[in-house]
Amino acid sequence: MSYREKIAWLSLIAMAIAYGPYFMFVARGPGPFEPLPHLHPLGLFALVSIVRMLILGAGYLYLRLGSPREERPPLDERDRAIEHRSLSAAYYVLIAGMILVGCFMPFSSTGWTIVNAAIFWIVAAEVIHYSVVVASYRVQASS
Amino acid sequence: MMQGSISNRIRTLRFMNSEMSQAELGQRIGLTRQTIAAIEAGKYSPSLEAAFRIAQVFNVPLGEVFQWDPKATALTVS
Repeated sequence: MSYREKIAWLSLIAMAIAYGPYFMFVARGPGPFEPLPHLHPLGLFALVSIVRMLILGAGYLYLRLGSPREERPPLDERDRAIEHRSLSAAYYVLIAGMILVGCFMPFSSTGWTIVNAAIFWIVAAEVIHYSVVVASYRVQASS
Repeated sequence: MMQGSISNRIRTLRFMNSEMSQAELGQRIGLTRQTIAAIEAGKYSPSLEAAFRIAQVFNVPLGEVFQWDPKATALTVS
């Protein structure tokens, strides 16, 4: 497995650990947090974001120390093509999500529901980004 | 569905050139070993520039490294 694929896996795992429980928690309903400008949910989101950063930081450090320099070559044209493809896929997910959140949800939802929906689509776009990276490296890996 | 596929002889040419490794070929043309492996296996089509660089390393015309078969549907690698 290439270094870049490992980084993509690390990013996916960090997002699953950090944002999975967050979205499961907020999906249970508006709870005591509604309506705006109650800022408790923002603190919760900041907390899971810090958890994600810590996981990423520890993971980067582990992978960097465990991989010799020659296993971490600079990006070549295939890496750039994979990055371009994954970002394109993520862009469409993000645009679809933002249209939903910005154009439709204001007529049916309020406050933190809209904010969390926006965060969800940003995270979903990131998940798609790294998933396409992993899938591309897997498909192109020689057997 | 459009037919046609690109085949290549990179593995053969590497063998004929002092059994050059994928890593060495990659180093000489600025690609990673994994990318050379993907090209050899027909899972990644290199840019025109990279294709020319590969041919230059082996000192052969481009057509001796890559071949286009308009009727094939599966890629063949020698």
